[in-house]
Amino acid sequence: MRSAESGLESYQGPETEKGVVLRLSGARVGYPGTVVLRDVDLEIRKGEFWFLLGPNGSGKTTLLRTLLGLTPLLAGRAVRDPRHAALARTGFVPQQCSFSPALPTSVREFVSLGRIGGDRPRAEREADIAWALERSGLGGLAARDYWSLSGGQRRRALVARALVRRPSLLVVDEPTEGMDVASQDDFLETLETLHRDGGSTVLFITHHLEIAVRYATHVALAGEGRVLAGTRDEVLQPAALARAFGNRAATMARALATGSEA
Amino acid sequence: MIEAFLASWPLFGDTYLAGWAVACLLSVVGVQVVARDQIFLGAAVSQASTLGTAVAIWLQGVTVIHAFQADAVTFLFAVTASLLTALASAREAKPGGESAEAVTGWIFLVGSSVPVLLLAHSPHGLEEVHRILFSSILGASRTDVWLFGGLLGASLVAVWQLRDRIVLYAMDPEMAAAVGMRPALWRVGLAAWLGLAVGLSIHSAGMIYSFGCLVLPAMAARKLCREVRPMFVVAPVLGLATAIIAFVVANTVDLPPAQLTVALQCGVLAVAWLWVRLRSGLSAVGDAG
Repeated sequence: MRSAESGLESYQGPETEKGVVLRLSGARVGYPGTVVLRDVDLEIRKGEFWFLLGPNGSGKTTLLRTLLGLTPLLAGRAVRDPRHAALARTGFVPQQCSFSPALPTSVREFVSLGRIGGDRPRAEREADIAWALERSGLGGLAARDYWSLSGGQRRRALVARALVRRPSLLVVDEPTEGMDVASQDDFLETLETLHRDGGSTVLFITHHLEIAVRYATHVALAGEGRVLAGTRDEVLQPAALARAFGNRAATMARALATGSEA
Repeated sequence: MIEAFLASWPLFGDTYLAGWAVACLLSVVGVQVVARDQIFLGAAVSQASTLGTAVAIWLQGVTVIHAFQADAVTFLFAVTASLLTALASAREAKPGGESAEAVTGWIFLVGSSVPVLLLAHSPHGLEEVHRILFSSILGASRTDVWLFGGLLGASLVAVWQLRDRIVLYAMDPEMAAAVGMRPALWRVGLAAWLGLAVGLSIHSAGMIYSFGCLVLPAMAARKLCREVRPMFVVAPVLGLATAIIAFVVANTVDLPPAQLTVALQCGVLAVAWLWVRLRSGLSAVGDAG
């Protein structure tokens, strides 16, 4: 079955039997008239923790939008297993959510909005909200005003909003930008726990290499219009970094060796 | 006071019912306007309706085409102008393009200046423009009651069904797109709802009443509620309650009901502001204790 809007095929067959959640083959990604990434081959399997890495403007978010089916594929083939990667089973954590602080909302209301478009039964609403808040470290704060939360807690509320639909695939778009180191670590530990205990497939977008070094099982490195994808150890090599990050590659390579900030 | 009001019912019953339905309808529509911080758009859409009316009256003066002479044409022009303004504001801003706010401001100013220029030499036309600006709802008819009652019913059903999606779209359009909502469709749909409701209301109830009922109850509800969803209940209740009280009082002391309703709604909003300050003050004292 092919979605006319996205060009993504929902597919259950030999590929998905092997646990393939999402697959791009020979994909050309971008917008009409502008190719951002070409010849993208990427296979994401159930339970993997993927990092989409690359400098600013390298096409990470465009690739993400294509994987989610929000931006149509320009060429090539995209397959997703509806059991694990249908929109109803995908949780999305955006970079930020900036609505007017004058708008009143409780943490509970904010999180409950994540159920829209999901396939969870209505009767499970309260249980899902409580579970998502608990897993995000916001248990007990449901009745609090969203705007009374700290910056780190608001990021957690974004995660809870994605989790409330009990996703098989969790997509996280650079949520650690602007967070202090302690909050960043706290946030990533939460994601790691969700991945480890819940068996969720995670797709994390960032340009911070050191985070990927610590948490990734697989990496897709975007740069110069192409994507190099594979296991962390296959991809995070000096030559690949040089291609993606140009003259910042040396710094990146040192970061790989030391695990420090790139 | 109540007896005097009830005694006036045979003469003004339809006016009262139409006015209350308009207050309720616009208060519901206003929640999504206020939630998306588009209060100025409400003013521009209202003003554009005046422009539509003025253009229709001007055409009636310069053309001999019989079809333009009908009242229905004036009505149609007013609604179309509101609808087009709302839709113009719904277009997606492109890099290097003009912002929606700038376009809204331009439309507001065109709607404020051009009608007077168009009808400067037409005493009857200026009178009509002043009637719209002044907000006299005395001319509302039984048809208006059915029209606004129907629109209100349809709006309430739609809000009940789609409230979560409306709230998510107002808060986070990017997330709304990520969960499968179509942003372009929602932008146009919400704009059309606003343009239609305001355009129709202006013709029957005037600009001040329509704009007031659109934004003031929703702004007060925003202050009084702790979540967005209850605003869809609190705003129309406030809109309806203030309109009922104002109509009864206006009938007794012989004041214009539209202006009294809006003044009352301004008062309610001021009280809501004070209440929020008092509540946060009490909460700070409680925390310190």
